[in-house]
Amino acid sequence: MTSASNVGPDPRSSDAAVIATRQPQAATNEVLLEARAVVKEYGSTKALQGANLVLRAGRIHALMGENGAGKSTLVQILVGAAVPTSGVIAMQGRPVSFDGVSEALAAGVVPIYQQSSLFPNLTVLENLFAFETAASHGVAGHKSARRRRSAKQMLNRIGLAVLLDQPVASLSLGEKQLLEIARGLGRDCKLLVLDEPTAALSQADTNRLFAALRQLASAGVGILYISHKTNEIAQIADEITVLRDGVCVISGAPLKSTSMQTIVSAMVGHAFNVGEKNLPVVRAPVLALVGAALRIGDPEVSITVRASEILGIAGLAGSGAEEIGAMLAGALACSRGVLSVNGRPVGRSGDRATAVAAGIGYVPADRSVDGLFPGHDALRNASASVLDHLTKFGLLSRSAESIRLSAALTNVSLTPNQPRRLIDEFSGGNQQKVLLARNLAVADIKALVLVEPTRGVDVGARDIIHDRILMAAAEGLAVVLVSTDLEELTSLSHRVAIIRDRRLTTELPRLSSPAAVAGAMLGENQ
Amino acid sequence: MKMADLPGSHLLRRLPVSIWGLVVIVALVALFLPGFARIGNITNVLRVGAILALASYGQTIVLISGGIDFSIGSSVALCSVVTALAVQQLPLGLALTAGFASIIGVGAINGLLIAYLKLSPFLVTLGMLLLVHGFAAIVAGGLPVEVPDREGIHTLSGSDLLGVPYPVIIAGLAAGALYLLLERTTLGRSWFLIGSNLAAAAATGIRLRRNIFLAYVLAAVFVGVAGLILTSRVAAGEPNLYPTLPFETMAACAVGGIPLTGGRGSALNAVIGVIVIAVLNNAIVLLNFPAYAQLSLLGIIMVGAVIAQGMPSWTRPSRIRSL
Repeated sequence: MTSASNVGPDPRSSDAAVIATRQPQAATNEVLLEARAVVKEYGSTKALQGANLVLRAGRIHALMGENGAGKSTLVQILVGAAVPTSGVIAMQGRPVSFDGVSEALAAGVVPIYQQSSLFPNLTVLENLFAFETAASHGVAGHKSARRRRSAKQMLNRIGLAVLLDQPVASLSLGEKQLLEIARGLGRDCKLLVLDEPTAALSQADTNRLFAALRQLASAGVGILYISHKTNEIAQIADEITVLRDGVCVISGAPLKSTSMQTIVSAMVGHAFNVGEKNLPVVRAPVLALVGAALRIGDPEVSITVRASEILGIAGLAGSGAEEIGAMLAGALACSRGVLSVNGRPVGRSGDRATAVAAGIGYVPADRSVDGLFPGHDALRNASASVLDHLTKFGLLSRSAESIRLSAALTNVSLTPNQPRRLIDEFSGGNQQKVLLARNLAVADIKALVLVEPTRGVDVGARDIIHDRILMAAAEGLAVVLVSTDLEELTSLSHRVAIIRDRRLTTELPRLSSPAAVAGAMLGENQ
Repeated sequence: MKMADLPGSHLLRRLPVSIWGLVVIVALVALFLPGFARIGNITNVLRVGAILALASYGQTIVLISGGIDFSIGSSVALCSVVTALAVQQLPLGLALTAGFASIIGVGAINGLLIAYLKLSPFLVTLGMLLLVHGFAAIVAGGLPVEVPDREGIHTLSGSDLLGVPYPVIIAGLAAGALYLLLERTTLGRSWFLIGSNLAAAAATGIRLRRNIFLAYVLAAVFVGVAGLILTSRVAAGEPNLYPTLPFETMAACAVGGIPLTGGRGSALNAVIGVIVIAVLNNAIVLLNFPAYAQLSLLGIIMVGAVIAQGMPSWTRPSRIRSL
C-alpha cells in the first residue's frame, strides 16, 4: 500500500509544456543580485567584514557557515531586512538599497522562511492569492475562473499536485513548503531565498523540493540555498559560498571542484573527523513499551531499549515515528499498551510529570513549540525539570540552581557560556544544547528520548550533541533517537527500527548504510 | 548609554523600565498640583491604592501563568454582600471569614474550569464576572445591605500604626509574600514557565493542572484580602462594588511592565503600576475632573501601556533565525 501524496515523484513535475508557458525572466548566468565588500556592524561587533556574494540566474547557490558566521546577517541584507554599514548591493548591475522587505520583493527577491507564513484555515487557492487579495481593496474572488487557471499553472510550475480547494492544514509539511514557494514565484520572482528549507521535511518531500528547485533553475530563476546539511548541498547546489567570522572563506566556488571535506573544514576552521563512533556495550533492558497503540485501530507496537543502548527510530513524516518517540517519552497518551522503566509501569500515560519522576528524559521535535521558554535565561530553561530538587527549607535555592545548572550547561559546551543570557539570543544549536542539559541535569535519569535533536543545527553543535548522547549512553542511559537525518541515525544507533504506517516493519543492524535505511523507510525490500 | 560606568548601576539595571514612568508621573503631578504632596493626601492615595495593590497581586499571578482574571470585580462585591449578611447572625470575625471564603470559592471555580476542563481563562472569568455579580445581587435582594456601625467593621480599613494605615501595611507585607511566592517557590517558578510556553512546560514534567488551579486559588487569596479591606471601608454589602476593579488591575499590571501575554512579571512591577494608577486617579480628583474622566484615563493608560510593551517587536527585523 503506497500511502498519501507525499511519496514518489509527481508525473506532472516533468511537464515541459507547462514550464514553457513561463518564459525565463533572465538569460542564464546573468548576474542577478550581487553583494560587494559588505560590512555590517552591531555596536562594536562586526557581523560581516567585507562579504561578497554573486547570485546568477539559473544557478543554485549554497550559502553555508556555522552559527554566528554572519549568514543570517548577509541574508537579511539581501532581502532588505537589514541595511549594511558599508558595501554595495547591486540588482542586475544597478546598485540598490532596499528599504524594507517589500522593496526587495518588488525587485523580485523572494524569501521563504523556516516558519510557515501560510494561512492554515484557508484553501490552497486562497493562500496562493493571499497577498493580491489583501492588496486589492474591492471584493475578493471575482474573475475566479481565470484565477483558478493561473493557480493551476503556479502549482504545475513546481510540480505540486494538490486540490485548489483543499484546506492548507490538510497538506503535508513538504506540500506546504512547495505551496509557499509557488506563492512566492507568483510575484515575478527572479531570485528565491530558501532558509533551511528541508529542516522539517521527510526524505521524500526533500526529493520533491529538489526536483522543483532544479526545474525552477532551468527556467532561469536564481536560487540562494541556505543549509547546514552538506549532503543536501552536494545534491542540489551548483556553486557555494562559505562564511566564517563574517568573511567569505569560500566564495562562489563551483561545487564540482570542491570536496565536502574542504567545505566542512572551511566552515569549522579545522579538519573535521567523520570516522566511526564507538558505541558502548549494551546491558539490561530499561525502557519498554509493550503492545502500544496511539489511536484505536492502530497496530500494536512493542519496543524495548536496554541500558547503554541507542535505539534509532526512522520513518517518513506521517509514518508515526515521531509519535512513537513521544509515547516512549510518556508525552503522548496511548489508547492501549504499557510503558515501563526497569519493569515498573509508568503511572498515567501521556503525563510527562509521572514520566519524569520515573526517570525518562525528553527532547521534543520542535524546540520552539514544546521545548523552549522564551523570555527566560538559559539557566531557567535548563532547570525546569529539576526544580523540586533545588529547594532548601521549602524555598527554591537560587545558588543551588545556579551551581548545578551552570555545570550542566558547561558540560554541553554552551556557547557563549553565559547561563544568564536569554534563551532567545542563543543560536538554534545552543538552544538544543540547553534542552539536552535540562534532561542530563536530572539526577536519576534512566532513559532519554530525543526527537530530531540536531534539526537546523550547525556542524559544530551537532558534533557536540552527538558526543553528549554517546556519553549519556556510556553512563548507562537507555537512549531513543528519532531522526530523519539518516547519517546521524546510522552512525549513532546500535540498531534502527523502521516505522511505516504506524507499524514497526523491520529493524536494521548497526552500521547499516543511510541508503538501506531510506529504502526500508520507503518500503523497498518488502 | 554607558550605564555600566556609574556606581550602583548594577542595581539600577535590575529595576523595571516602568520605574522611570512612575518617577516622571509623580514628579509632574507633585509639581503642578500643589495639593498632592501633602501628608494627608499621600496617605489617602496609599490607603486607596492598597486595595488596588492587593487585587493587582492576584492579577499578577494569573497573568504570569498565561491567564487573565476579570472576575476580581464581582468577587469583592460578593465578599461584601456575604459579610454584610453573615454579620447579622455571626460575630464579625466569622462573617469576614465567610466573605473571604466566598472569594476563594470563586477562584477555585475559575481554577477548576480553566485547569481541569481546559476552558479559556478569558471566557471563564468574564462569565464569572457576570454570574457572580448577578448572584450577589440576588442574595442581597437587589439593594445594598447595611452593616451596623457598632460592629467595629471600620477597624481594618480605618486604623493606622504610627501614622501608616493598616491597608498600606497589609499591602506592603503582601508584596513581600508575593515576591517570595513568585521568586522563591517551585510553584511560582512553574507559573512563569507555564505562561512562557505551555507545551514546553508540559514536556518538562511540570504538573500543569494542579499548578494552574493553584494560580487562581492563590490569586483569590490576595483578592480576598482586598475584598475584606474594601468591605470594611464601605461597611455594607454592595452587589455593584468597585466595577472597574478588574480593569484597574490590568491597567496597573500593564503599566508596571507585566505583559498581558504571560510568562513575565514581578511583585515590583505590580507595585509600580499600582502607584501610577493611584497617583493618576488622585490627580483627576485634585483637578476637579468629573469621576467618569477616570474611566477614559484608565482606557488610555491601558492601551498606551500595551503599545509601549509591543514597541520592540515593531522594530525587530524579519524572522530569519540565527543559522
